[in-house]
Amino acid sequence: MKIEISDYNGTKVFGISGDIDMNSSPELRRELLDLVVRKVPVLLVDFKGVSYIDSSGIATFVEGLKGMMPYGGRLKFFGIPQGIREIFSFSKLDRVFEIYPSIEDAFNR
Amino acid sequence: MADEHTVTVSEAFLRGMEKKVEDLKTLTEMSAIISSTLDLDELMSLVMERAKEIMAADACSILFYNRETDKLEFEVAMCREDNTCEVLKKRISLDMGQGIAGWVAENRKPLFIEDVSKDDRFFQDADKLTGFITKSLIAVPLIGRRGLIGVAELLNPGNRGYDPEIFQLLCRQFAIAIENSLFHKESVERERLKQELDIAAVLQKSFLPESPVLKEGALTASAMNISAAKVGGDIYDFIGPANGKLGVLIGDVSGKGVSAALYMAKIISDFRYVAHHMETPDIVLERMNTVLSKSPRGMFLTAIYMTADTSTGEITLAAAGHPPFFLISGESVEVVSMPSGPPLGIIPSEYPSHTLKLKNGDRLIFVTDGVFDAKNKKGERIGFENITEFIKFHPGADNLMDRIIEYVGDFSRGTERADDLTIVEVRWGG
Repeated sequence: MKIEISDYNGTKVFGISGDIDMNSSPELRRELLDLVVRKVPVLLVDFKGVSYIDSSGIATFVEGLKGMMPYGGRLKFFGIPQGIREIFSFSKLDRVFEIYPSIEDAFNR
Repeated sequence: MADEHTVTVSEAFLRGMEKKVEDLKTLTEMSAIISSTLDLDELMSLVMERAKEIMAADACSILFYNRETDKLEFEVAMCREDNTCEVLKKRISLDMGQGIAGWVAENRKPLFIEDVSKDDRFFQDADKLTGFITKSLIAVPLIGRRGLIGVAELLNPGNRGYDPEIFQLLCRQFAIAIENSLFHKESVERERLKQELDIAAVLQKSFLPESPVLKEGALTASAMNISAAKVGGDIYDFIGPANGKLGVLIGDVSGKGVSAALYMAKIISDFRYVAHHMETPDIVLERMNTVLSKSPRGMFLTAIYMTADTSTGEITLAAAGHPPFFLISGESVEVVSMPSGPPLGIIPSEYPSHTLKLKNGDRLIFVTDGVFDAKNKKGERIGFENITEFIKFHPGADNLMDRIIEYVGDFSRGTERADDLTIVEVRWGG
């Protein structure tokens, strides 16, 4: 897994590629919690390059989301590949996370 | 006149010989230190401390090469002030090619620099951050059998009379010793992890029902659970029978290993407490959702909980982000994907109940994702569709659970099981 951190009109973007699993999620957790501690208002996560996510990876995002909720922060996903979109809908995680088709949608809504 | 056994040598030659003897002594002494321990930290401290002494250097450091990030990170730093070492370890990493260490790592060649102020490659930020003043330095690549390990540096060496060849020879020995102790550390760690996982697997099993089959009236609930090497955190449980009802739970805790097993233990005890009054599944899951809302590290549980009336065969179910289940009635197999709330422990939610009436001989089959996520050697997943097709092909099989487990086993033969497999069957009547 690789995380590229960039900026889109002043909003932080995580561009993730590879597998988000038990081995790689600690790195994601570090980066995510670093932003949560600094109370970043919005984080956009680009899933285009993600090949697989397991429940440890999802739990890491749940932890990030739970950290952001008390201060009104928003965690928005976009570019989710079909296979991962199915995992999210299968397990009703699409009710938990904000999911958008593109970075523009994620940014504007 | 000198006798025939006397050889006359120049003073310079004699000094040179003395120096060689000194160097060899150093080499022997360092070799003894290097082979004295397999403890990585001890090894690096001993060697670098002695190297610093011999070379009369002000400070020394080892940077390790991190393959994942392609950067050099400070692993050992020995300076006069502890604070300086902490700053280096926490705040400085170098790209390949950056600074002197980066150059040495990239080119796999040592550098002996008399005056760093005249060398463009010198990375000044470390000095700026630590307040240390580097005047001269020796930097040597540490190369083991698996390639680059890192770079060792001695700063401001006072001893200019060293032999670079001896120094490099020592570094080669040192690199191999570091590699050996890394291997040792990894194998100890692997063994420790394996033992912990064995305990986690025992722990997990100890919380599952004593018997995987519970029969009450015309209703039979049975389960099969196979743990993955890494312990996947699957659970199932039977509640009751009480008040003419039987409760059946199937679930999957997020994550794997010891944390999943421990969290599963907590969930099972919470669940038994919440469900023992035989309230309807919607209420049980809502309460479990509240209980688990403070779960650590974002952990959550996908689950289906059902209660069955042991005299009528009426089933009430509620689901929390768990995969659909199968209703087998005669030759027909239906995939039941009912309205469901999200997994438990994430956000406040409702978990609507769904009712169905089983006919004589009907069966419900519940699975965890380990069943359809199993991979083959090529890394392909079996998929929910294929499991559905398999069940449709064998709707009447008496030992359907065994057959499914066998099918998954055949598909993923030659691979390590990545996740637990759990199947629960609820059968009404004959």
